[in-house]
Amino acid sequence: MSRRYDSRTTIFSPEGRLYQVEYAMEAIGHAGTCLGILGKDGVVLAAEKRSVHKLLDDVFTSEKIYTLDTNIACSVAGITSDANVLVTDLQRTAQRYKLSYQKNIPVEQLVIHLCDIKQAYTQYGGMRPFGISVLYMGWDEHYGFQLYMSDPSGNYGGWKGTCIGNNSQAAISMLKQEYDEDGTTIADALRLAIKVLSKTLDTNKLTSERVEMATLTREDGKTKITILSDKVVDKLCAEFEEEKAKLEAERKEKEKATPKRK
Amino acid sequence: MSIMSYNGGACIAMKGRNCIAIASDLRFGIQGQTVGMDFEKIFPMNDHLYLGLTGLASDILTVSERLEFHIKLYELRENRKISPKTFLSVLSNLLYEKRFGPYFIEPVIAGIDPKTRQPFIASCDLIGCPMEPEDFVVTGTCATQLYGMCEALWKPDMQPDELFECCSQALLNAVDRDAGSGWGAVVHIIEVGKVTTRRLKARMD
Repeated sequence: MSRRYDSRTTIFSPEGRLYQVEYAMEAIGHAGTCLGILGKDGVVLAAEKRSVHKLLDDVFTSEKIYTLDTNIACSVAGITSDANVLVTDLQRTAQRYKLSYQKNIPVEQLVIHLCDIKQAYTQYGGMRPFGISVLYMGWDEHYGFQLYMSDPSGNYGGWKGTCIGNNSQAAISMLKQEYDEDGTTIADALRLAIKVLSKTLDTNKLTSERVEMATLTREDGKTKITILSDKVVDKLCAEFEEEKAKLEAERKEKEKATPKRK
Repeated sequence: MSIMSYNGGACIAMKGRNCIAIASDLRFGIQGQTVGMDFEKIFPMNDHLYLGLTGLASDILTVSERLEFHIKLYELRENRKISPKTFLSVLSNLLYEKRFGPYFIEPVIAGIDPKTRQPFIASCDLIGCPMEPEDFVVTGTCATQLYGMCEALWKPDMQPDELFECCSQALLNAVDRDAGSGWGAVVHIIEVGKVTTRRLKARMD
């Protein structure tokens, strides 16, 4: 049917769609979940670790979360090799800004820079778009803590809570219900992230083997990016499991208390 | 008039026992006129690596900023802190690239190797020829005076406090014999996990 308009990124379909861009977003829908939550005192990124192969040598400290500069970090969902190329570019862009202006690059400017590159691949050159969506978390003196999401079309938005990758729609609807506009602290955000991930990941129990998390906060006038250690992540997961078990027990109690109707 | 003595300045680094000292004067002048008394010529590249630069002030700022660019990217890519020896190579390469239109600076490096925890000092000339002595390095408009003071005062394996005294006295007395340097001094003592910065009370002339 509309297959004849698929092969080139640089043409519209009769319905006004860019199929290659949409197929790129499809590719991301199969990748490991990443979610980001904006808090009053910081931002949290959580990501699903996909490569849990026994034979994989665990040399890297972080599989999906990358530091871009002292004030910005990001998490990527999609084709890993595309991600590596773009992350390197982001790091270089941030440093080039610092060299010229002797200041850290404002978060939105870095996002815009990358989105403009991504957009170029949807309009000219004849090359396929980058198959990645990125979640950026950062702090700058203009807008404080920020969370952005960009997709293969080169579009981006500022978010209070969002998710990309596998099962992202379910995660986003959960975030919509649970996110507290007025009072989310880092601690709340971490708990919420674990809660959402445990629903969207298809495992019974969440551990540091499947999930990695990072926070961005301000301490002593400096931005601090912390990639949480396995121990801390396991602790958070354990706390969540306890909460869940407690709620289950309470629910069972309630069921027993209310008499069954015939 | 030499371009290297246009702004004036002096820098010194010394090796001690598991520690290093790096110090500079604070004068920023335009030939004879002193314009600033808070122009530090020492830049931290990371917690354990300090770079001192003397020569043309504009090039001092440019080179330190360009090096920070390189080092930041290095640390992001390689996920580890750069070792002082590697940093020396980066610096030397950056300077030699401008072999026929050089940066008018003479750098001094002082750092502690992140792996071996050994102290490291080095210096280069303006086109990047490296030198890694075991004792001390000096640069600036009063380099000769600094050499004299260091030869007299330095001895191996000094503890941080003794090293601080030695470095301070060497710097202070050398810049007092030079019109282009002085107007205050700053000294950093770098040990594993600790950096102590002190400003010296100097002759303000």
